[in-house]
Amino acid sequence: MTDAPLQTSPLHERHLALGAKMADFSGWQMPIEYPGGGVVREHTAVRERVGIFDVSHLGKASVTGQGAVEFVNSCLANDLHRIEVGKAQYTLCCTQDGGVVDDLIAYLEADDDVFLIPNAANTAEVCRLLAEAAPEGISVENRHDEFGIIAVQGHRSKDVLESLGLPTGHDYMSFVAADWQGRPVIVCRTGYTGEQGYELVPRWNDTAELWDALTEAIAPYQGLPCGLGSRDTLRTEMGYALHGHELSLEITPVQARVGWAVGWKKDTFWGKEALEAERAEKKTPLSRGLKVTGRGIPRAGCEVKDADGAVVGTVTSGTFSPTLKEGIGLALLDRAVSEGDEVVVDVRGRDVAATVVKPPFVEVQVRED
Amino acid sequence: MSDLDYPQDLRYTAEHEWVRDQGDGVARVGITAFAQDALGDVVYVSLPSVGDTIAVGDACGEVESTKSVSDLYAPLAGEVVGVNEGLDAAPEQINTDPYGEGWMYDVKLADPDATEELLDVEAYRAQLG
Repeated sequence: MTDAPLQTSPLHERHLALGAKMADFSGWQMPIEYPGGGVVREHTAVRERVGIFDVSHLGKASVTGQGAVEFVNSCLANDLHRIEVGKAQYTLCCTQDGGVVDDLIAYLEADDDVFLIPNAANTAEVCRLLAEAAPEGISVENRHDEFGIIAVQGHRSKDVLESLGLPTGHDYMSFVAADWQGRPVIVCRTGYTGEQGYELVPRWNDTAELWDALTEAIAPYQGLPCGLGSRDTLRTEMGYALHGHELSLEITPVQARVGWAVGWKKDTFWGKEALEAERAEKKTPLSRGLKVTGRGIPRAGCEVKDADGAVVGTVTSGTFSPTLKEGIGLALLDRAVSEGDEVVVDVRGRDVAATVVKPPFVEVQVRED
Repeated sequence: MSDLDYPQDLRYTAEHEWVRDQGDGVARVGITAFAQDALGDVVYVSLPSVGDTIAVGDACGEVESTKSVSDLYAPLAGEVVGVNEGLDAAPEQINTDPYGEGWMYDVKLADPDATEELLDVEAYRAQLG
C-alpha cells in the first residue's frame, strides 16, 4: 500500500453534507453509514422498502475491438456464450493457479464491446492482465473515473426509478441504455443485496444530480441513503462472496463454491487446468454458512472447531444479521464438515456454538416483480 | 462530534467510559456518547458478573456493533454489585440512552474516592480534541 491520497467519489460533497461516517475502502473514501440511519436501519430500509448506495468506487473498464467477446471469454472464467447482448454476467478473473484476482460483472454491450465492473482495489490489475493478453486490434481501457454508480435496492426500487422516468421492466441481470433529462444512464438490474434492485451507471459529472433526484424520489417510500456498512450486512445475509474474504488469490472458485460462474466446458480460460484438477480431487475446503445458536458474532479470522475441539476451518466473513437478529458467518471448512453439523467458533477465546448451514440466510428476492 | 452530549456530573476515562458516583461507595459505569457513536449500532454486550472483583484496566467485557468489537476496560477497582441485564435483550439502549438505560454495571469501590482520579468533563472533551 502507498500513502497516496484517498480517491473520492463524485458524491463526496453530498456525503460530507449529510454527515456520513467515511472510511477507506480500497483507496477510496466512502460512506459507511449516515446519521439518522446506521447499519441496522439502513439494512432494514433495503429489506423492507428501498435504499440508495453510492458504489462509484467500483471499477469500470471496457474491452473493445473485433473479437472482444471471444477474447474476454478466453480469459475470464464464466462463459459469455451463456448470455446475449444486453445481459450481464457474474464472472471471475483467475490466475493460472486458480486463485482469484477478482470477481466482477461483465456486461455484453455488443459483439465487439464488453463492459466490466471489477472491485475498486482490483480494477487496475484486471485491466493490466487483460491488456497484456490482448491481441492486436483489441483494446482494454480503464474507465474508473468516467462513470459513477448508484445502487437502488429494495422492492420499492421499481417505483423510485419509474418516478424518474427510468426503465424498469427488464429482467434480472440485464441492462438498458436510458436517457435521464438528456443525460445517458445505464440501468442495470443488478445488485449485491439480494433484493430486487438496480445499479445506475451515469457519467461521472452527472452522478450528483442523479443522486439528488433519487434522494427526493425515495422519500415517499421512507427510503434511506445507505452506506457500505449495510451493503456488507446485506450481502453477508445472502452468502454472496466478497473478494478478499470468500475469494482471494488463495481461495479458489471451487472452494468458494462459485463453480456455477465458471464455464467448465470452454476450451480455455485463466486457471482452467488448475481448477479442473482441484474440482476433480475434492480435497480442498469449502465455503459454508454458519448460523450462531449461542450468543456472539463470528468475525473474519475466527477459528472453527468441531465437537471434539479440532480446528476444521476459519471464518471468512461474519456479522450480526439485522434481519435474523443473530450472528451469521461464512467459513472455509474442511470437506468432512457438512450442513447440519454443530460446530464451535472461537470468538476471541470464547466458544460460540453454531450450526453449519447453506446460505442464503434470508430469502433471495432479486427476481421478484 | 459537537452534538454529542457529555453530562457535567459524570467522570470519564480515556477509553471512553463514564462513571457516575451513586453514593454509598458505589459507582455506575457505561460508555460515552462518543464511544457509542464510533461503534455504530450496538448488537451485543458481554458484561462482568455480579460478585466479580475487577482491577483498573481489566478487560471485563465486550461491546460489539454490526461493524466491530471493543473491550470494556474497568475504570475502577472493586466488586461488581449489579449489571444491566436489560442490555441482553435491548443492547441498542447503549446507542439511544448511553448515560441512562444504556448503563452497564455497578461497582462497589475498593477506594471510595477513586472516582476523583478520573477525568472531569472538560478534561474528557479536551482529549476528544
